[in-house]
Amino acid sequence: MLEMKSISVPAGRLDFSEKMTGAAKFCQDLRPHGMFYAKTLRSSKPRAKIRAVRLPLLPDNVVIVDWRDVRGKNIVPIVTDDQPFFARDQVNYIGEPILVATGPNPDELRKIIDSIQVDYEELPAVLTIEEALSRTSDIIYGDHPWFVSYEYLKGDPDTAIHEAAISVEDEFHTGYQEQAYLEPQSMLAEQKDGVMTVRGSMQCPFYVEEALMQALGWERTRVRVIQLPTGGGFGGKEDYPSIPAVHAALAAIKTGRPVMLVYDRGEDIMCTTKRHPSCIRVKSHLDANNHIIAREIEVLSDAGAYCGLSGVVLQRMIYSVPGVYQVQNLRVSGRACATNKVPSGAFRGFGGPQAFFAIEMHMEHVAREIGVDPLLFRKTHFLRQGDLTATGGRLRSPVELEAITDSVCTLSDYYEKRSTPKEPGGKLRGIGFSAFFHGCGFTGADERDIISARVRLCKGEDETVNLYVSSAELGQGAITTLSKIAAETLDIPLSQVLCGYPDTGVCPNSGPTVASRTILVVGRLVQEAALKMKEHWDEAFCETESHFRYPGGFSFDKKLHTGDAYLEYAWGANVVEVEVDPITYSCNILGAWAAFDIGTPIDTTIAAGQVHGGMTQGLGYGCMEVLDMKAGRPLQCSLTDYMIPTSLDVCKIDFRFVQSESVLGPYGARGMGELTLVGAAPALAAAVENAIGKPVTQLPVTSEYIMELSRHG
Amino acid sequence: MARVFRPGNLKEALHFLDAERAAVLAGGTDFMLKAGRYPGAEFAVLSIGHLHELKRIAIDAANVLSLGAVCTLSEILESPLVPLFLKLPIAEIGSPAIRNAATAGGNVCNASPAGDVLPMLYALDATLVLKSHGDQHEMQIRDFIQGPGLIRIAAGQMLTEIRIPLRQTWRCTWRKVGGRRANSVSKTSFYALIDRTSRGLGDVRIALGAIAPTVVRSREAERIILDAYRGKPSQRCTEIIALYDALISPIDDSRSCRDYRRTVSLGLLENFLTEVMRI
Repeated sequence: MLEMKSISVPAGRLDFSEKMTGAAKFCQDLRPHGMFYAKTLRSSKPRAKIRAVRLPLLPDNVVIVDWRDVRGKNIVPIVTDDQPFFARDQVNYIGEPILVATGPNPDELRKIIDSIQVDYEELPAVLTIEEALSRTSDIIYGDHPWFVSYEYLKGDPDTAIHEAAISVEDEFHTGYQEQAYLEPQSMLAEQKDGVMTVRGSMQCPFYVEEALMQALGWERTRVRVIQLPTGGGFGGKEDYPSIPAVHAALAAIKTGRPVMLVYDRGEDIMCTTKRHPSCIRVKSHLDANNHIIAREIEVLSDAGAYCGLSGVVLQRMIYSVPGVYQVQNLRVSGRACATNKVPSGAFRGFGGPQAFFAIEMHMEHVAREIGVDPLLFRKTHFLRQGDLTATGGRLRSPVELEAITDSVCTLSDYYEKRSTPKEPGGKLRGIGFSAFFHGCGFTGADERDIISARVRLCKGEDETVNLYVSSAELGQGAITTLSKIAAETLDIPLSQVLCGYPDTGVCPNSGPTVASRTILVVGRLVQEAALKMKEHWDEAFCETESHFRYPGGFSFDKKLHTGDAYLEYAWGANVVEVEVDPITYSCNILGAWAAFDIGTPIDTTIAAGQVHGGMTQGLGYGCMEVLDMKAGRPLQCSLTDYMIPTSLDVCKIDFRFVQSESVLGPYGARGMGELTLVGAAPALAAAVENAIGKPVTQLPVTSEYIMELSRHG
Repeated sequence: MARVFRPGNLKEALHFLDAERAAVLAGGTDFMLKAGRYPGAEFAVLSIGHLHELKRIAIDAANVLSLGAVCTLSEILESPLVPLFLKLPIAEIGSPAIRNAATAGGNVCNASPAGDVLPMLYALDATLVLKSHGDQHEMQIRDFIQGPGLIRIAAGQMLTEIRIPLRQTWRCTWRKVGGRRANSVSKTSFYALIDRTSRGLGDVRIALGAIAPTVVRSREAERIILDAYRGKPSQRCTEIIALYDALISPIDDSRSCRDYRRTVSLGLLENFLTEVMRI
């Protein structure tokens, strides 16, 4: 057993007490004097021209806000300029905002919204990836059926394929996943002395600030964004909050009132971003020694009606889909297809869960095809420190996949259980394994080119240190862990470090709270700023800043997709054991085990929370969370119908940290927030496959799907 | 806006209902969801969940269990008078918070095809006591429930009591099939009772939930099962299953599909017939 580093010792969450006692003020707890509410009118058609919008006779105190009120640019500023804040003359998905009604009485606003008539001229909608790709005219976005299309090569796949002794091919499908954060999208906008202040539930205050500046056409000095205590994000509050924030701000300007815009659950599920559905085809070519010499992979994702983050998500999908394996020759392509559905977006894992499901199930299938133990087969292909990744980046930090695999297999008794013969007639038991990574931080050199993070530390006369970052506290422990890094580096008690919720009026831009970058990138900057401060500790006042510098020797070519796709990687392996009922086909999770290399954990209790939460969300993705679309409309728009696991559905999760130090992260830490979700679904799917003896090729593995497999397979 | 009337006793409640049309609220775990869909709607609510007169649990001399209509599911689970074969389905409804609020009478009057209190009440031939100002009726549950959300209740009438004839010898088989293990609406459910004594099999009852507009129960099929058990070789398991297959009409919805519901419902029946009844 490793001796625990002092930084890893649990310190207790600094936001714990206010949240446990109920003292924390969430957006909906606020009631500034004279506040108005707001409700959104949304498209009921997947694709249509708007001929006219007919309003009922409105009471004096109800005000309508629409595209005409956008004095700046009616485009959400996120990667591609295609999504309007308000639809003007066309709608492209069910749930797209058309206007907002604002007034003092929310019930009255609902009635008004319900009584507004929109004259639509319906257009033929594209509702699936297949429809998008098969359409030859009336393309819904530009002149091709996808927003982005990428391809990269490693080695010489054509020659290798020619020499292959055997080839194995698979096609996988994955569905939507809804973030199902506890607190729906919530924003409160107030204009005072020419400054627009927006407070609310969010992951990325500076994204919201950017959106306000763009929509309002105001200078940065007139816009201020403050994160409030936030009931979960999981990626769903990365880019989306810009829309309700702008709607509330425009309403506040037009009415001269504070305006609160809160989505109800059905609205939130219907119209906010979700995990991309995908179709992934993998073909492996092996030589006569059962070694994979080449792979061809094609990834298709369903991006929905606007591009949003789909390009970046697709990058992560195609960089992750070769898995944790060293294959010399690769051809990988990906397309994010345009459909008339709610835009897909960021969700914990960001393309990784789909990619690792596909590659891990494929490894199982190839192993079975050639009659080799699937774990042994994986081990002979594992990446090692110093190896080149799929994109040709160097793995600089240790890669402990063997140790991780051995750890989780011992913990779960994998070999013993896997080799136990099935009892005929009874419940069907199965056990499955997955190995995976998560690239930490933004893709390629984007931490330098797009974000360029900064943090600031200020020491006052009383020797308290204020930590200024834009990292949002989402329940993941950002405030605590970043404060711990400052305290540890300065060698002062944690209570001497003060860190509040981010406020763009006060904090430097240390980037969004996404991409498992908070510890690796922002934490590293906090450590650097603290080291600088330490040198000046004797001065009465001291302020230090630290700026992101792209590490020497790293490079990435975005066009060719070659080089260091990520700054650092975190690694993991999961084992899941299930029991399938042969009558009801329901899948009961008997056990879930994990080993992760997150480098040095910055607080083992907070890290354990990430493991439990991430794996539970991953298991839900694997077997339970169904979101179907019918004619472009989500069918499960409540938490009764959209099912996430309850405490009865999740077994005890046992895990170990295999700690190898990152060369970049503070105290040797890597990222971890997303890693914990990524491998649960493939391990579960492999367990079901092991239980029923039929290949599993889609997520979620519902009872209905298991029935279908059991019958036809 | 909802106008809510909170009577001091049953008499006041019935008096109010005699004078005015109102939604009767007892627990509200379904009602509040429905009301939430129509914010600002004008309606009257008669709240009766607190009425002690409707919380009685007792067994009379004829071994009939009376459940007051506003007994919460938790109260039923905690009562030593209630036998296990009634508690099993209730223990799997919702979550602890739902069971602390939801009432047996509410589940009956909500008349959801997926209501988990209903299959056992059908199987046990439960009778409902319907009171109005100055009047009282009794009705079999299968006559009371007409379809999804449809109940046969006259203006001014209120369900006050559920009466369940008990037998000490009943043994029950219960399977709820949902999308998860708590807080889930049944995709399908199976409830069966057998009365097996030293003298042999006295009776069998089978009720299938969530696979038709109302719970499916067939006395005729049950007689055939009894005959089959008693060795009449002409009736085989597959024929019995075919009988039930003709009675069910499962649907596709946001929770499951008709194929799954039919397969699993009949699969549970077959398992019961072969493993429990050994036909």
